[in-house]
Amino acid sequence: MIADILVAGLVFGSLYGLVAVGFNVLHRPTNVVNFAQGELIMIGAMLMAATPIGGLPWGVAAACVMVIVAVVALAEERVAVTPVLRRSSHAVGWVITTLAFSLLLAEAAGRLWTDQPSAVAPPWPLSMRVQEVLGVRFSSYQVAVVVVAVAVVALLGVLDRSRLGTALRAVAADRDGARLRGIDPTALTRRSFLLGGALAGLTGVLAAPLLLASVTMGLGLLIKGFAALAVGGIGDNRGVLVAGWMLGVIEATGAVFASPGSQSVVLFAAMLLILLIRPNGLRGLAVQRHV
Amino acid sequence: MSEVRGARSRAVRRAAPWLVLVAAAAALPLLSGDPTITYLATTAGIYVLVGTGLNLMFGYTGQVSLGQGALVAVGAYTTGILMADHAWTFWAAAPVAVAVAVGAGTLMALPAFRLSSWYIALVTLGAAMAARSLLVEFEGLTGGWSGLMGIPRPALGPWELGERDILWLVLAVNVMLFVMVRTIVGSRLGRGMMAVRDAPEMAQSVGVAPARMKLFAFACGGATAGLGGALLAVHHGLVTPDDFTLDFSILFLLVVIIGGAARLAGPVIGTLLFFALPELLTGLAEWRGLIYGAALLVLMVYAPQGVAGAWEKLRARRRSSGVPADTAHTDTADADPGVPIEAGPPRGEPLGVELIGVRKSFGGVHALRGIDLTIEPGTVHAIVGPNGSGKTTLLNVISRLLRQDEGQVILDAEDVSRAPAERLARRGVARVFQTPRLLGTSSLRDNVLLGAYTRERSGGPAIVLRLPWARREQAELAEEADRLLAGHGLAGRASEEAASLPHGEQRLLEVARALMARPRLLLMDEPAAGLTPRELESLGRLIRAIRDTGTTVVLVEHHIELVASVADVVTVLDRGRLVTSGPPQEALGDARVVEVYLGAPA
Repeated sequence: MIADILVAGLVFGSLYGLVAVGFNVLHRPTNVVNFAQGELIMIGAMLMAATPIGGLPWGVAAACVMVIVAVVALAEERVAVTPVLRRSSHAVGWVITTLAFSLLLAEAAGRLWTDQPSAVAPPWPLSMRVQEVLGVRFSSYQVAVVVVAVAVVALLGVLDRSRLGTALRAVAADRDGARLRGIDPTALTRRSFLLGGALAGLTGVLAAPLLLASVTMGLGLLIKGFAALAVGGIGDNRGVLVAGWMLGVIEATGAVFASPGSQSVVLFAAMLLILLIRPNGLRGLAVQRHV
Repeated sequence: MSEVRGARSRAVRRAAPWLVLVAAAAALPLLSGDPTITYLATTAGIYVLVGTGLNLMFGYTGQVSLGQGALVAVGAYTTGILMADHAWTFWAAAPVAVAVAVGAGTLMALPAFRLSSWYIALVTLGAAMAARSLLVEFEGLTGGWSGLMGIPRPALGPWELGERDILWLVLAVNVMLFVMVRTIVGSRLGRGMMAVRDAPEMAQSVGVAPARMKLFAFACGGATAGLGGALLAVHHGLVTPDDFTLDFSILFLLVVIIGGAARLAGPVIGTLLFFALPELLTGLAEWRGLIYGAALLVLMVYAPQGVAGAWEKLRARRRSSGVPADTAHTDTADADPGVPIEAGPPRGEPLGVELIGVRKSFGGVHALRGIDLTIEPGTVHAIVGPNGSGKTTLLNVISRLLRQDEGQVILDAEDVSRAPAERLARRGVARVFQTPRLLGTSSLRDNVLLGAYTRERSGGPAIVLRLPWARREQAELAEEADRLLAGHGLAGRASEEAASLPHGEQRLLEVARALMARPRLLLMDEPAAGLTPRELESLGRLIRAIRDTGTTVVLVEHHIELVASVADVVTVLDRGRLVTSGPPQEALGDARVVEVYLGAPA
C-alpha cells in the first residue's frame, strides 16, 4: 500500500519536477515564468500519440519531437516574450502574453487533433508491465522515467558550472551589466527557449505513456509543475525535483484516502500552506532585493 | 465663482456620454420587443460589473488574477443554494454571496503577503481549478455536473421582477459601483494601489503596505464578482459548472485589457467590443478561443493601454498640437525655484537614528560589516564613500527596505530593527530615491499627494462615501500639493503626466513628494547626480532650509563640494566599514579619507 503510493508519487512527481525544471531553464535569463509550458508539453505528447512521428523508432521520434517543440518555443520567444521584455512597461506583460500563447496552442491542438485521449506504448525494451520485487510493484518504464528526470537535473547541473551557465547567471543578475562584458542577453534568451522547449518536448514524450495523451493535459501539468516550482524554490533544479516527488506522493496519498475529484484541491491546499510558511520554497535560496 | 461654474460644466460634459449610455441601455427593452436583446444587455451589464472589479485588481493594483470567474461562480452558487434550496429572498442572499466571495478572494490573495506578483497569477489559476473540482465534488450541495436549477427571480413583496427590471437593477448597481470606483481611484487608496503596481518599494517608503493594498484590491474584486454572480444566478435561473470554465476568467482579463487597464471606461468599452459583438455575430462563437488568445497577445504587445488608452493619447496629441508650444511652462521651469518650503512644518520633532553593530551581506558580498553610527536629530548628516562602500545599503537599512543580518536600528529611542518600511513612513520618515520612482501615468499633483498618504486622516469608508470632511481634507491637501509644485518651479503643470517630465524635473517631483509628507527625517540618495551647477546651488539651499524647519536630513552623496557646504556631520564609509565621522572639514581632511579616495601614498 505505502509502496504503491511511493512508486506512483515518485513517477508522477518526476514529471512535475521536469515541468518545473523547464520553468527554471526559461526563467534564468529572462525572469519570465512561461505560462505556455504546459501546452508545449501537451504538444510533445500529442506529436507522439497522434502523428506519424509516433511510428518512428523511439529515439528518432523523441529527437524529432524535441526539435519541433523547441522551434515552437522559439516562436513563442519571438512573438510573445521579447517584444514585451523590450518595452517592459508593465511587469505583468509577459504573464498575459505567454498565457495568450498558451491559449493559442491549446486552441490549435484542439482543431488539429481530436480530444479523445489516446494511450502510447513505452519504447522497447521498457514496458508498463508490473513486476514485483520485494513486495514493491513497479514497471520498467516507471523506473526509466525517474532515472531520466534525475539525469536531466544532473546534466543541467553540469551545464550550470560551464561557461554558458556562468553567462546565464550574469544575465539573470544584471542584463545590462552582462552586455557590457560581451554577453548577448537576447542570444541567451533564444538559446534558453530552445533548451526549455526541447525539455518540454522530452517531458511530453515521457508523459505520453503514463498519462493518456490528450489536448487538455497541458493545464494540469502547468499547475502541478508550478506547485513544484514554488515549493522547491525558483532557480533550484534539485529542489524542484524533490518538491515534485513530494507533491506526487501527496497527490497519490490523496487519491487513496480521498475521492479523485478532491486531489487537485488537496494539492492546491498543500501548496498554499507551504507557500505561506516558506515563501521562497523549502530550501529557501532567497533572492535578494535591491533598491 | 466662474471657476466653480466652469468646473461644474466640465463635470457635466464629462458625465454626459455615460448618462447617454446608461439611458440607452435602460431604454433598450422599451424600444425593442426582442427579449434576447434585453437578455444580452443584462449579461453584458453583469460582465461590466465584474470587469470593473478586476480592473481595480489588475489595472490599478497590477495583480493578474485568473480566478475572477471562479469568484463569480462562488457568488452565483451561494445565491443559487440559498434561494433555490433554502427559499431565501434575493435581497438576503445577495449580501451573503458578496461576503462569501470577498472571503474567497481574500483567501486567494493570501500568498500576496509574501510573494511577488506573478505567483498571484498562477495561484489564482490553481484556485480556479480547485474551485471547479469542488463544485463537482460537493454534489449534494451544488448539484454536481447538472448544477442548480429553479432559482427564482428577485421579488419585492408579491411583485416578482421581470427580465426588464433585472436589466434596470444591473444598470443601477453599475452606476453606483462606477461612482464608487471613480472615488476610490482618485483618492489616497487609488494612489496607493498604483504605487504598489508601479514601484512597490516607493509605495512602502510613503507608507503604503503593499500586501494589505493587494488584499484590499482582491476584496473589492471579490465583492463585485460575488454581486455579479448573484445577479447572474437570478438572471439565468440556473447555474452549472460549465458556466465557469477557465475561459470565463480569461474573458474578464481580456475585457479589461482590450478596453484599457487602469481606465474607468475600460471594462465598459471592453465588454461592448468583445462580448456584445461576437454574441451578436454568432458565427464567430466557434472561434472564440482563438480570438481570445490572439487578441490578448496582439493587444499586450502593440496596445497595452487598450482602446481607452489609445483614445486618450489621440486626444492629448490633438490638444497639444492645438496649443502653440507650452511657453508658459518653460517660463516657470526657468525661474529659480528659490527655497520652496511651502509644505508647512514637519509633523513633529526631528528624528534621530542610532545604528548598533549593523551587518548586511548579499551572498558573499559584505556590504556592511558592523556599523555603529549616531545621527543627531535636526542635523544634515552626509554619508560619503567610494562606489561599493555600502552607502545605499546603509540608507536602505535605515529606511527598512532591507533588513540587516545583525545589529539594531533605533529610531528616536524606539527599536525598529524588525519594523517594515511602511511603519517608518507613518512615524515621519520620507525618502528620495537615486533614480526617480514615480507614478508615470499619473499627474504631477497625484504624485505629490502620494507623499501625504500617511497624513490623511479620513478612512476608507469616509472616502468612498464622499463624506464632507473627507472631501474637505482632500481639497486642502491638493492645494498644498499645488503650492509645493509651484515652489519647485512646476507651477501650472499639476495635471501633466509625470512620465513626460525630463529627468531633472522628475527628481524635483520626488523631492516635492517627500516634503509633502512633512517628514521628521528625510533620507536622500544622491540627489545631486546629474544636476547643473545652478541646480546644485539651489539644492544646497533647499537642504539647509529643510533642516532649519526642523527635519533631520540623511544625505548619501558623491558630490563632495555639496557635502562640504551643507553637512553638519560627515560619515565616511569604505568597503562596509565606518572610516570616520565628524564635522565636514575634519572628516573630509582626515588622512585615511584621502587614502580611501585617492589610494595610499607610495
